[in-house]
Amino acid sequence: MIDASIIGQEIAEVTFPIDRSKLAELARAYGETDPVWHDPRAARAAGFDAVPTPPTVTVLADHWRSGGVAGLVEAIGADLSRILHGEAEWEYLVPVRLGDTLTSRQMVAAVSRREGKRGGTMTMIKIDTEFTNQRGELAVRRTDTLIEREI
Amino acid sequence: MTAFTTTHLPTAPVALAEGDEMPTTTVGPMTRTDFVRYAGASGDFHPLHHDEVYAREAGLRGVFGMGLLHAGILGAHLARWVGPDNIRRFAVRFTGQVWPGDELTLTGHVERVEDIDGVRMAHLMLAVTRQTGEPAITASATAQVAG
Repeated sequence: MIDASIIGQEIAEVTFPIDRSKLAELARAYGETDPVWHDPRAARAAGFDAVPTPPTVTVLADHWRSGGVAGLVEAIGADLSRILHGEAEWEYLVPVRLGDTLTSRQMVAAVSRREGKRGGTMTMIKIDTEFTNQRGELAVRRTDTLIEREI
Repeated sequence: MTAFTTTHLPTAPVALAEGDEMPTTTVGPMTRTDFVRYAGASGDFHPLHHDEVYAREAGLRGVFGMGLLHAGILGAHLARWVGPDNIRRFAVRFTGQVWPGDELTLTGHVERVEDIDGVRMAHLMLAVTRQTGEPAITASATAQVAG
């Protein structure tokens, strides 16, 4: 079981592009048909300085982390089959645009325990991620809460 | 999954007041193809979301949708309401699973509006609700708005 000893653990740094093909694919996966989400000409025609991105765009980092989402769970030493995603929160400081390159740095921020409603202990693991753009600006701050269930 | 009808995506902050509602949309029925498309788009290849055999062996009735898929659908819908560049914060709580065949209703409203350092900010409450009435996501957001 995960314990407080992992607080402060840093998870691999990942640098990844915000490129047109991935933006088009993500928009399509969300059921969005508006070309503004990936086409520079459509975005300019709509009044944007560059192609805007949806608020969950930072999920694209998962492509570039070894092992993807499962890789994160392994990195903190948790069992994938017992982990649930409880919460996610994003704070936006600088808009993310097509053509940006983001670097994500992740750290285990907190670990706490509580009794589950149906018995058994639940361990809550808080992971902080900072996404910095190619200009060195902190663009997005993300916090995830993972829940490890006791079997 | 049915696609959203294209409406203009706002650039500047939009005028919103307490009690205003986000246009309600229903998406679905969600299919395994939607989950697989999102797996490819996002890089989330957790087998519980695409491998029926693995999901059954894990004691589930089958595969279910990634939380970040319907969070992303809600986020895109929120962006369509307030403008993508005006969102300052978006927070989602996963409260239940989404299964193939589910139809999801996206709702939201303005809880309150306040001035923060001369900037008008709206606090929004949002939800993704299954056809059974159970919420799959409860969410909140903060967005810059016009008066």
